[in-house]
Amino acid sequence: MAAISSLAGSVRERAAGAAFDAGGSAGASSGAHLQTSAISIQNCSLTFGSVRVLNGVSLDVRSGEFMSILGPSGCGKSTLLRLILGLLRPDQGGGITLHVPREEIGIVFQKPVLMPWQTAIQNIELPLNIGPQRAKQSKAERRERAEWTLELVGLADFRNHYPQQLSGGMQQRIAIARALAANPSILLMDEPFGALDEFTREKLNIELLRLWANPDTKLNTVVMVTHSIQESVLMSDRIVMMSPRPANVSDIVQVPLAHPREAEMQELPAFLSTVREIRKQVKAL
Amino acid sequence: MTTKIKDVLYPIAFAVGLILIWEAVVRIFDIPLYLLPAPSDIARVVDGELLRNMGATLYEAVLGFLLANVLGFLTAILFVHSRPAEKGIFPLAIALKTTPVVALAPLLVIWLGTGYWSKVAASMIICFFPILVNSVKGLKAVEHEAWELFSAYKGTKAEIFWKLRLPTSLPYVLSALKISSSLAIVGAIVGEFVGSNKGLGYLVLLSSYHLDTPVMFSAIAAAAVAGLILFGIIASVEKRVIFWQKVDEV
Ligand SMILES: Nc1ncnc2c1ncn2[C@@H]1O[C@H](COP(=O)(O)OP(=O)(O)OP(=O)(O)O)[C@@H](O)[C@H]1O
Ligand SMILES: [Mg+2]
Repeated sequence: MAAISSLAGSVRERAAGAAFDAGGSAGASSGAHLQTSAISIQNCSLTFGSVRVLNGVSLDVRSGEFMSILGPSGCGKSTLLRLILGLLRPDQGGGITLHVPREEIGIVFQKPVLMPWQTAIQNIELPLNIGPQRAKQSKAERRERAEWTLELVGLADFRNHYPQQLSGGMQQRIAIARALAANPSILLMDEPFGALDEFTREKLNIELLRLWANPDTKLNTVVMVTHSIQESVLMSDRIVMMSPRPANVSDIVQVPLAHPREAEMQELPAFLSTVREIRKQVKAL
Repeated sequence: MTTKIKDVLYPIAFAVGLILIWEAVVRIFDIPLYLLPAPSDIARVVDGELLRNMGATLYEAVLGFLLANVLGFLTAILFVHSRPAEKGIFPLAIALKTTPVVALAPLLVIWLGTGYWSKVAASMIICFFPILVNSVKGLKAVEHEAWELFSAYKGTKAEIFWKLRLPTSLPYVLSALKISSSLAIVGAIVGEFVGSNKGLGYLVLLSSYHLDTPVMFSAIAAAAVAGLILFGIIASVEKRVIFWQKVDEV
């Protein structure tokens, strides 16, 4: 566990460094406070036909933080991630500012979305083989990068397996490895563990936190949509609560737990009281 | 015994049993040759002539099959990339499908003569629809999230086609190929019925004029075997290419 603590320590520093690189606002380089924003969402509304899904959402994702988004089903959480990725455009008047290059944002969908005709390693390599990424690295470099992330998610033994030959949890890990292969600094995740059993879920939660803290990856900011209050408290620095459709940010909860997080922290009074507080808010929505 | 061996052995055993019963029934009841020849009578007329005719029919069928499938797949690609093309041409394709090839075959002979091409064309017409419908369906079967994944990483149109749409469509395409592999033979034989001097259709027609039922049976059997060969080839290709899923549609 000592090793992990030191990794987490370096993450803090790295995050501060990133803030400095980005030429952030005054005071950002103070280190302890991660105030530089990585993504700014300003007054974003979105209407599908006559259905207003998002209603003037404004939100700042800070560089280096682990942010969770909680909200009732159908309120527009996935839609918000699609806006950030540029897959959807906000209505007139809204704007999204990315403070990192667009290529540095990775995505993990609710479903693994793996190509059944490709092996685990080929699936992981996919984002490196398409678009502008392709020209950036040689074939050997791309393969090496994919091998490395495959190992990172602990599936080296399943390199040549097809998705159908992997369990749901393994498939989701491949999807995470695929997102990491493109070396993102920001990772957007849409209920990545939603379809998993409690046991696997908790294991992957901790694994993801470890990857986030791993100084060998460029990854320093995570935005994770989840349905689970426990998961959001266990993992995040801040929890964004969204109201029902037309959705808005109803509150942002700061989690009073230290890093690195462990599964056992779920018994701490601070954890339990935060869960209780959020549950109360969810009821009030 | 493994299932694989059983898969081959059982049908063969069953077929052999049927042939033996057939042979026995014809002998015991002394059925006249022109009505129902015994398997041994049919086997006696299998000769080079039959194989040559079978070769001709296979040639026409395979050519029609290949041309129709290439054309059909290309048309499907056009359809998924251009709505006007799909809206304009699809109804025509359906009209063509509902027109029986048998009704068109004489016209094809007038246009293309009594040589190979009228049969190839008949075979093409009958093979065209399954591949068109299935390819359109397959090319559109791409999961929305998969498409978003490619877009998120700025995949080009070509990359989306080659790495996503095409592989997604393959199970549908191969299921269409399996169906049209037997239809191709039907098309060729229909063409031969109308006007030709070779092929299994020609042989069936000729033997019916002469009341040479054993030859007719041999030609029918050869047509069945030709269909089986094509089907078998496609099925084994399918097994190799589409190891991840099967669809049985159309
Ligand atoms: N392409 C679309 N066309 C029309 N309506 C859409 C589209 N995508 C989403 N919606 C609508 O937008 C709303 C929000 O959808 P979204 O998928 O963002 O919800 P969500 O918060 O992610 O829900 P869940 O937690 O169940 O995944 C839904 O009511 C949905 O019906
Ligand atoms: Mg969603």
